[in-house]
Amino acid sequence: MTTITLENVTKRFEDVTAVESIDLEVEDGEFLVVVGPSGCGKSTTLRMLAGLESVSEGRIYIGGRDVTGLDPKDRNVSMVFQNYALYPHMTAERNMTFGMKSAGSFSDDEIERRVSEAAETLGIGDLLARKPAELSGGERQRVALGRALVRDPEVFLMDEPLSNLDAKLRVQMRAELAKLHGELETTTVYVTHDQTEAMTLGDRVVVMNDGEIQQVDTAQYLYDYPNNQFVAGFIGEPAMNMVGVEVEGTDGETVVSHPGFRIRLPETDELRRFDAGRAVLGVRPEDLSIVETDGDGADTFVATVTVTEPLGDSLLLYCEVEGDELQVQSAPRSAIEPGDPVTLTVDRDRLHLFDRETRAAVYHSDGTRARTPEVTATAETDD
Amino acid sequence: MGQREIYGERGSVLESLKEGRTGEAIDHFRGGLAAYLLLLPTLVVSLVFLYYPALRAVELSLYQTLMFGARRSYVGLGNYVSLATSSTYQWSVIITVVFAAIVVVGVMGFSLVVSFLLHEIEIGKSAYLIAAIWPYALPPAVAGIVFLFLIHPTIGMFTSVIEGLTPLTVDWFSRGRQAFLVVTIAVIWKQIGYNVIFMIAGMNNVPKTLTEAAELDGVSRWNRLLRIYVPLISPTLLFLVVMNTIYAFFGTFAFIDLMTQGGPGGATNIMIFDLYRNAFEFNNHGLASAQSVILFAIVSVLMYAQLRLSDRHVHYG
Repeated sequence: MTTITLENVTKRFEDVTAVESIDLEVEDGEFLVVVGPSGCGKSTTLRMLAGLESVSEGRIYIGGRDVTGLDPKDRNVSMVFQNYALYPHMTAERNMTFGMKSAGSFSDDEIERRVSEAAETLGIGDLLARKPAELSGGERQRVALGRALVRDPEVFLMDEPLSNLDAKLRVQMRAELAKLHGELETTTVYVTHDQTEAMTLGDRVVVMNDGEIQQVDTAQYLYDYPNNQFVAGFIGEPAMNMVGVEVEGTDGETVVSHPGFRIRLPETDELRRFDAGRAVLGVRPEDLSIVETDGDGADTFVATVTVTEPLGDSLLLYCEVEGDELQVQSAPRSAIEPGDPVTLTVDRDRLHLFDRETRAAVYHSDGTRARTPEVTATAETDD
Repeated sequence: MGQREIYGERGSVLESLKEGRTGEAIDHFRGGLAAYLLLLPTLVVSLVFLYYPALRAVELSLYQTLMFGARRSYVGLGNYVSLATSSTYQWSVIITVVFAAIVVVGVMGFSLVVSFLLHEIEIGKSAYLIAAIWPYALPPAVAGIVFLFLIHPTIGMFTSVIEGLTPLTVDWFSRGRQAFLVVTIAVIWKQIGYNVIFMIAGMNNVPKTLTEAAELDGVSRWNRLLRIYVPLISPTLLFLVVMNTIYAFFGTFAFIDLMTQGGPGGATNIMIFDLYRNAFEFNNHGLASAQSVILFAIVSVLMYAQLRLSDRHVHYG
């Protein structure tokens, strides 16, 4: 059983706070992905787990053991680095065995057995005699994974391991990593800035910004019920549209009002309690659609197309409506040109409202209760 | 393959001429001319002050000379023969080779450990670095005098300390082995700073993630130095081996001159000092020239051997 617990972990570099009071629980065998923009504190968090950075405040437990002050080598973790960190003067095999041999706690037979097992798992058996300079990026990454594997650690830590690979190889390695984790079921913490990687790999995903955890949940839940405007904008490609609106309640019906449109909102308890008047409406590009009416119908409105981006499987339209821009994902191969007016409608079950001041989600239109950051940070998984 | 690929700039001049593009050919030639003009100052200095005197030294080594070479008589290889049969000179060669070996190994070993400690320490790094580099900032003559007074047999600062803590009697003005040891230590001490600068720079170039990977793997510090840093900075180390060899053979003259004058009893009479005395004390320029040619040959052979050996052991990342 290898769980990881971070309790109130803070990291300060002189007067800069890189990580602020993080509480996080990683379950045994879980693949947890930490995602966020550059400088959000995700790598620092991982390095604190590895013991490569000291902790300013708080405690870290691995498998129930307090490792806060322990040296990296005493934590029984393996780390895979973005630049692979292979020793350039050693062969792939020596790279994998060097640490074990130096540590001195493994017999030669044991080391040999583990190397051949790892080489077989990763398909690098015929590369063992080569030096890193003679390997391609993908092969180097496999060797780096092999080095992490042979030590049979309690925890794998991965710091953007796929970032140096080209796009095609990255997708391939992503699938292999997922498969590998399925076989080994070792608790893994994986850091990336790529939200697609985070969504596809993680059992759960931690979204970080400015040194703080914004939300921890399964990928789908993050996508469907973002906790705040940051998560809503960061998760999903193309990003969610955010438009400032007035929320008006008349005749038992709540309407969001914008100079260019009025949309009726499905009633929920939260909406009834919401009395701020102004809010930010969030709607994903695929939840907006073009309708073939003249725009007079309920919940429809007219916008002008400014840019079209054919993506192959869909056509992304940038539409302007009374000074605000909305991205709309529409069917491919349509004859829409920039300058054309289009009539749009929304999927009324897929609307979100965010508080203008706190930027927190206050309403999801399908009735799912918007969770506060305090709740989501320690939420149970939904699967 | 065009002329340009084969012959470089000149090739492209030929190519242009062949194709009847005279204007372009002149442009190319002007480009080449500019390069030679820019090289000219260095070429002139090298020719006048290095290659010409070197050739004259070889020539002079075949003569017996009087009065700064004003009178000379051709003796062929006579100077070389007398050197080869001189027991003083044979001893000087042995002393020099042993001295150089100890200096190169001592400087490199000591500097490596100092550099590694400087690389690892986190508090007061700059202060330690300055302290380590300081002796290098001194001219050799000043360093020699400083060391002379640090360990002077009668008035040296460290002399009484050494005599108090050990059963030794500091008497290197009359004891050959002590004199050899003192000069060797002084020469090593002077050169550590130079080596530390390069080694620290080399170690700082080793990617930080390699150190971190080693830390996670539980590789000990000593192993990290010997198995990771040393192979990765081996090109720097090779450069330093060459520089330290040259230093030991040629750059240590001031220490011998100021501290021991080659004595006592020839115990520190290294080749460069013996050569100097023959030339400028005994006015035997022919013999001194022959000595300089031999010194040059020995160092050249050593350089060649070092570079050939290193091909197998130096890792160029």
